[in-house]
Amino acid sequence: MQYKSQKIAWYFFAACMGLFGLQLIYGFILGFDRMGYDVLHDWIPFNTARATHTNLLVVWMLTGFMGAAYYIIPQESGRELWSTRLAWIQYYSLLLVGVVAVVGYHFNIWEGRKFLEIPRPLDYLVVVNVLAFLLNLFMTIWKGKNKSTTAMVLFFGLLMAALLYLPGMYTFDNIVHDSYFRWWVVHLWVEGVWELIMGAILSFLLIKLTGVDREIIEKWLYIIVGFTFLSGILGTGHHYYYTGAPGYWLMVGGIFSALEPLAFLGMALYAIAMARRGGRNHPNKLALMWTIGCAVMSFVGAGFLGFAHTLPQVNIWTHGTLVTAMHGHMAFWGAYAMLILAMITYVLPEMTGRKLFKGWVPEWAFWLSNIGMIAMTGAFAVMGVAQVYMERKSGMDFLEVQESLEVHAFGLVLAASLFTLGIVLFIRNFCAYGRPNDEVLEA
Amino acid sequence: MLTKSAAKTFFLGGTALCSIAFVLLTMDTLAQFPDRSNQENMTPAVVRGNHIWTKNNCMGCHTLMGEGAYYAPELTKVMDRRSPEWIAEFLKDPERMYPGRRKMVKYDMFDPAEVGAEEAKKNVDDIVAFFTWVGEIDLNGFPAEPDLAQAPRAQAVDVAPSSNLAKAPVYFSTVCIGCHSVGGQGGQVGPALDGVASRLDAEFMRKWISDPQSVKADTTMPDLGLEGDDLEAILDYLATLKE
Repeated sequence: MQYKSQKIAWYFFAACMGLFGLQLIYGFILGFDRMGYDVLHDWIPFNTARATHTNLLVVWMLTGFMGAAYYIIPQESGRELWSTRLAWIQYYSLLLVGVVAVVGYHFNIWEGRKFLEIPRPLDYLVVVNVLAFLLNLFMTIWKGKNKSTTAMVLFFGLLMAALLYLPGMYTFDNIVHDSYFRWWVVHLWVEGVWELIMGAILSFLLIKLTGVDREIIEKWLYIIVGFTFLSGILGTGHHYYYTGAPGYWLMVGGIFSALEPLAFLGMALYAIAMARRGGRNHPNKLALMWTIGCAVMSFVGAGFLGFAHTLPQVNIWTHGTLVTAMHGHMAFWGAYAMLILAMITYVLPEMTGRKLFKGWVPEWAFWLSNIGMIAMTGAFAVMGVAQVYMERKSGMDFLEVQESLEVHAFGLVLAASLFTLGIVLFIRNFCAYGRPNDEVLEA
Repeated sequence: MLTKSAAKTFFLGGTALCSIAFVLLTMDTLAQFPDRSNQENMTPAVVRGNHIWTKNNCMGCHTLMGEGAYYAPELTKVMDRRSPEWIAEFLKDPERMYPGRRKMVKYDMFDPAEVGAEEAKKNVDDIVAFFTWVGEIDLNGFPAEPDLAQAPRAQAVDVAPSSNLAKAPVYFSTVCIGCHSVGGQGGQVGPALDGVASRLDAEFMRKWISDPQSVKADTTMPDLGLEGDDLEAILDYLATLKE
């Protein structure tokens, strides 16, 4: 760590840990509901738990990206953050909005549009909040000594993410219309600009951890984010097959989303190749493990499992089944959760001066969470495929099918327990590091 | 070998090209929406139904056009399976219709005992209008007909005037028929009721319909609170179903 103001990142990461933990609790409520133990139904019905689970995910990931940006941008620009005070205001207001939204869900106050449940007045606050964040980054880059490619790609990614939030604030009386623009936010975030953010953070980590020349890493960064947009933008079409849009989207969405795994494969090969090439023997091996793990698991979860149901002739059967949950869980884990955990694992020793990346706690955190997530994905796959064949292909009654899947939901909850154990260890290690201090500042 | 500036050009060029294509396709798509979704049939009732749907985050459990949370049934074609009367009865108190099974939130706006008969009926009519409109949207063939099906799917019944069912009271031919069948028409969740009067005596049927759980604690037969004229009409009708 070189600049005092980078310390703010730690507080964002601490919030991440808290929100992530809470997300897992709601995940268990959903898992138990699916097992048939919906004992909380009267207080936290499934739709409340589900909206809370997914929104906490989005909030903690955005918080993580912001923390990463507050660390990376000063470092790359060679100066202190433009305004630490603005960053603090932004931090508390973001958390406030997140908490108010989630509490509201428990009282039937929401918009009822998947992933974008935050009610309208809070949307405006989010916009103001993100504008403050972007202004801070922009001024830091603008007044900084260097304008590195990594910083620019990261800023561009965050800016586009902010702009793409706007179409989701439009609502239409016609649900076909509404659904069309809802995907502009959801898809173009996670399969578009978030990957830009991901690419930039990955390249920052690879530069720091492998010691490979910045020019080479950044060149490949361009190629990979190029492929991301080439496939991802028109790949939005895979959400338009069966939601009222014209038939040509079957062709456009099918072809371009079939290319999406290539971007993720590129990302994985790039991370592995750079790590092999790197001469620097960075002591924080665990951060490199999370970094490469992120690139590999995002290919499996987002690339491969996404492809598994992206073609229209498959999707006609799998659309709106648990197959989507199978893909969703590993995709978010691999691409974004592991990325933020990699960043945290790299940043904590830099910020606190303690080197707690060796030993059983952080290492088992990595392995247990990953094994748990793979097992969870397996459980979802079994449930999803069984649902497709029983309900969609054979025409069995929905509830009958769901009741026959309860035993697999038990498997899901077991796998989730393993995953949670890993995350608990990660959070324990996070706490063991303590707060950042100024004594570790590099001259 | 590729230079960094060539890589940058590839990124910017590819992104610009795809974005332009995406915007053009979007413009064409938006122009087709009114026709594909039959926007002219979007009555105020449909719009109100849509607001009920979103305001209560129904897609937090159900799916509609395949979008939602996979915890409750897909409802795009629900009007092919259920009659408006069945939906009204179900929404009054969902847990009563499916005792002991996966739960749905009870919304007071559909319960005449909470908001009055008129308001409850209006809300049910709105949500039914919404589902009816959604069912007509051109979804490129979604949801597909089950291609491995052995038994026909549950369907709302179109009663032939000559059949036995034509003589049934409305409650029977709209609600009971969701699970039971007569003359091969109706649902397959509960047993077929042809000849039921030859198998069961009238007193038993009265007790069974009024309070099924008192006869068999774990039955999935719902206690719909039938009494008075409705109950008598159904019992009278069942008494005619002899072998």
